[in-house]
Amino acid sequence: MTAVLRPTAEQEYAVELEALRVADDRQRPPNWRMSPQAVVKYVLGGTLPDGTVITPKYVGDRRLVEVAVGTLVTDRALLLVGVPGTAKSWLSEHLAAAISGDSTLVVQGTAGTSEDQVRYGWNYARLIAEGPSDQALVPSPVLRGMRTGAVVRVEELTRMPSEVQDSFITVLSEKSLPVPELNTSVQAVPGFTVIATANDRDRGVNQMSSALARRFNTVVLPPPATEDDEVQIVVTRAAQLGKALELPAEPPALDEVRRVVRIFRELRNGSTVDGRTQLKSPSGSLSTAEAISVIASGMALAGHFGDGTLGADELASGLLGAVVKDRVSDAAVWEEYLETVVKERAEWRDLYRACRD
Amino acid sequence: MVAAALERVRPEVVLIEGPPEADALTRHVPDLTPPVALLLHDESDPSTAAFWPFASFSPEWQAMTWAARNGVPVRFFDLPAAASLDSEGHGSVDPIGLLAEAAGFDDPERWWEDVVEHSASDPIDLAKAVAEAMASVRAEVSTDVLGEHTLLREAYMRRSLRQSLKDFDGEVAVVCGAWHVPALMPPLPTATSDNALLKGLRRRKISGTWVPWSHGQLAASSGYGAGVDSPGWYAHLWEHHDDVVPRWFAKACSVLRAEDLPASTASAVEAVRLADTLAALRERPSPGLSEVTEAALAVLCGGDRVPLQLVHRKLVVGERLGSVGAEVPRSPLAADLARLRKRLRLPASLEPRQLRLDLRKDTDRERSKLLQHLEVLGVPWGKPDRTSSLGTFAEMWQLEWNPAFEVAVAVAARHGTTVEQAASTVLCTDAEEADRVAVASGILSRAVGCELPAAVEAGRKALDRCAAKATDALELLGAVPSLARTVRYGSVRGTDPELLRVALHGLLARGAVGLPLACRGVDDETGEQALSVVDDAHEAVRLAADEPHQQTWWRALTKLAAEPDAHGLPAGRATRLLWEAGSLDTDAVAVRLHRSVASAFVAGFLRGSATLLAADPRLFGLIDEWLTALHTPDFDDALPLLRRAISEFSPAERRLLGERVTSGAVERVDDEWDDAIAARLVARIRELL
Repeated sequence: MTAVLRPTAEQEYAVELEALRVADDRQRPPNWRMSPQAVVKYVLGGTLPDGTVITPKYVGDRRLVEVAVGTLVTDRALLLVGVPGTAKSWLSEHLAAAISGDSTLVVQGTAGTSEDQVRYGWNYARLIAEGPSDQALVPSPVLRGMRTGAVVRVEELTRMPSEVQDSFITVLSEKSLPVPELNTSVQAVPGFTVIATANDRDRGVNQMSSALARRFNTVVLPPPATEDDEVQIVVTRAAQLGKALELPAEPPALDEVRRVVRIFRELRNGSTVDGRTQLKSPSGSLSTAEAISVIASGMALAGHFGDGTLGADELASGLLGAVVKDRVSDAAVWEEYLETVVKERAEWRDLYRACRD
Repeated sequence: MVAAALERVRPEVVLIEGPPEADALTRHVPDLTPPVALLLHDESDPSTAAFWPFASFSPEWQAMTWAARNGVPVRFFDLPAAASLDSEGHGSVDPIGLLAEAAGFDDPERWWEDVVEHSASDPIDLAKAVAEAMASVRAEVSTDVLGEHTLLREAYMRRSLRQSLKDFDGEVAVVCGAWHVPALMPPLPTATSDNALLKGLRRRKISGTWVPWSHGQLAASSGYGAGVDSPGWYAHLWEHHDDVVPRWFAKACSVLRAEDLPASTASAVEAVRLADTLAALRERPSPGLSEVTEAALAVLCGGDRVPLQLVHRKLVVGERLGSVGAEVPRSPLAADLARLRKRLRLPASLEPRQLRLDLRKDTDRERSKLLQHLEVLGVPWGKPDRTSSLGTFAEMWQLEWNPAFEVAVAVAARHGTTVEQAASTVLCTDAEEADRVAVASGILSRAVGCELPAAVEAGRKALDRCAAKATDALELLGAVPSLARTVRYGSVRGTDPELLRVALHGLLARGAVGLPLACRGVDDETGEQALSVVDDAHEAVRLAADEPHQQTWWRALTKLAAEPDAHGLPAGRATRLLWEAGSLDTDAVAVRLHRSVASAFVAGFLRGSATLLAADPRLFGLIDEWLTALHTPDFDDALPLLRRAISEFSPAERRLLGERVTSGAVERVDDEWDDAIAARLVARIRELL
């Protein structure tokens, strides 16, 4: 096989999926490749009776994964919501791979997504030559999923224009897609369902209509649960980035990363780590992904313009940019945070000075 | 389950885990509507008290009502309250947790729910099975782990059990925590050994009564020992045997709809399906609380935790309030009130009368405290008369007792056994629920007035919390003045002013940061409000803030004055305050005045500054120059506001200003009378009038 840059989940974990299928002795819903319990195990990891080790794909609350799988069993559509960097798409890909053995039925939501990509298009040459016919119809991933009874993934649902989003309503409630040109409709076979992901705090999203929202069960994926988890993620990713971009800076000191992560977490959670002081949250999402980019840009600054070690001065500008997304209200939040929290911490004096300059 | 088992056995007497001093109180059971609590207290010291709450689904309550229905005597057979009142927090083993762990469950409550509550097997067999399980757990743990207190309790239980076996011929039923069952099973140890253990048990006079309780207090969060997290859920399970989950979601939907949140019947159907699927996925016999909660979150609440909290508060915990009949003896709170009334010589009279209190005298101070505490408890016996100003050492009250207050006192009995304690509990609870700065600061000043340190602390925390959440700087700063007064003059009330000063500084720091923003692009009404907030806060800062926070305040004023989009009134006022303090020089003010076509700035600048205007020639010249340089339309616009600013000056100030205008400031004196100018002037004035 020729090497690909990024194999799909079902390719990369083919061995695990096969082992789970073999070991699975519970009832499978129609057109599912394995039982719901096996899907949960595939996602959360574990060891099979034959000794095969299943690597954990998602680190987090077991209950969330169970609710997600439970939703799909009841043929309801699943909506995964969360800030960037909370593994929404990752979870959706793995669920599709485990349930249908195919994670490639994807509709990518963008501002330019059209209804054709959600319903069906036409092969115009054929359409003109033969008139409307089944052969001239170009099915969308949704239509293909309905015909084969597979899980269809919709990435960034809320980035689609609202009217395109709403074309999912019939599909989700009637489980059929009318094709008026052929005077037929395609009825979904069991196993068909939709996993959509959406970002609830970003800008430039189109709010879902409540008619559509009602047709989804929503699971909110939280940011990393503990500071240590998040620091670990940031350190690893920032080091990888540094290597990939060939930055001349040293890998970031753990203390600096911890500081950034703590600032992000405190602002995100609306209270200080000791719970004593309550804070306002800025309008931005302050995701783990952004913490990584603050560290990475700090490393770039330190490497190209500084002495090569990441310090308060390099962090200050990145922090400001990450926190203050709205010039007016976020600036006040940041100011308040500096005055009530950063200033009070003796060991953060350098950061306070750097941010004040 | 308990009632079914009792029905089968039909015992001669029912022994219930509880303090034996309450035996006499069981005759009131038919008059009670759960949730209620048994309240026992030391007769000589009512603040030493404990509550034994019962909900409709508590096995103890089931046993009591079954006994009352069937005319069977009830005896409480736990350690007497006389001995147990003082002992607190006896940490012991969690047997259910151990068993649940052995069965591979992570949540003990869930295990119990699955194995016992959802089980359809014969109640007697089930009790036997549980007893066996407990016996095997107890065999594993040493007596040290059990704790001395538990051993003592069990010895007493055995002694009472022997007594009951002697007193009654037929079956004796025992209702107690499963953990104690092995200790009560034959063969019992000898009576002598138990007596030896129980020797020297503390004796004292205990009295008690039933008080109304609430589901909120039953929830463990309220802090009374062995609470349950979800009384509403258990009550639901207890009341409905069929269609438990659909009924639950129907209730949840109506709770959400009552708050105008979307919750359709179709969603309820989907929620039921998801809860059932989750139960199947987790291999549970039927959906439990965690399944229905997760399904409600995913389906009904769209993943949003805020509506879920509503469901939690109204359904999972529930808002049910119990009641006690009129026959039930009065509560220690009422007794405490009667005692205080006697001691402070404040008879409950239905005739209204005036009462003047001098806070420097101990008795009067106590009286003031009592009246304020009662006010907190919803018993407005005395109404404070705030019309007459008596200074900080005196208070005027209007006293009038109302028989309906007795009911309020009875209801308040669940908050504590003394007036002071109950008021503190109520204020602390209110503080926890406060969500606005004004509310929190109101609670704080109330707590200071009541001299309740715990409530003061809770109020301060609430204030801190609300201040962090508040987005409106005016709201924040609006709470500063009253707090500053308390800090400055609060020593009479015996609260540590330093504590309040910290709160004050917190408010000030947050409010100061947001002030310039809060004055941006607001309408005239808000501008007026902002002006008075700035004024009052400025006064408060001078009164009570320390040096660094005064600096913070000055910085905020500087920013406000420099903020181009700020409303003229507060910006003008900030400019003048800065100018008065010498932080802004007169030239800068002149520039600012010229720039502002909107005269609100001038109004804000001038209001209440007559003396300055008359005394400072440079300021006067500045205003004069600005006024004369205005174009006609601008002048017309400026006139109303200007007039308003001037009309607020006192007559003396206006005269002073008038003299100033007519005196030598204007130098160009022309002997010639210019008819044309005079005619234009007259016409213009006519037009304006």
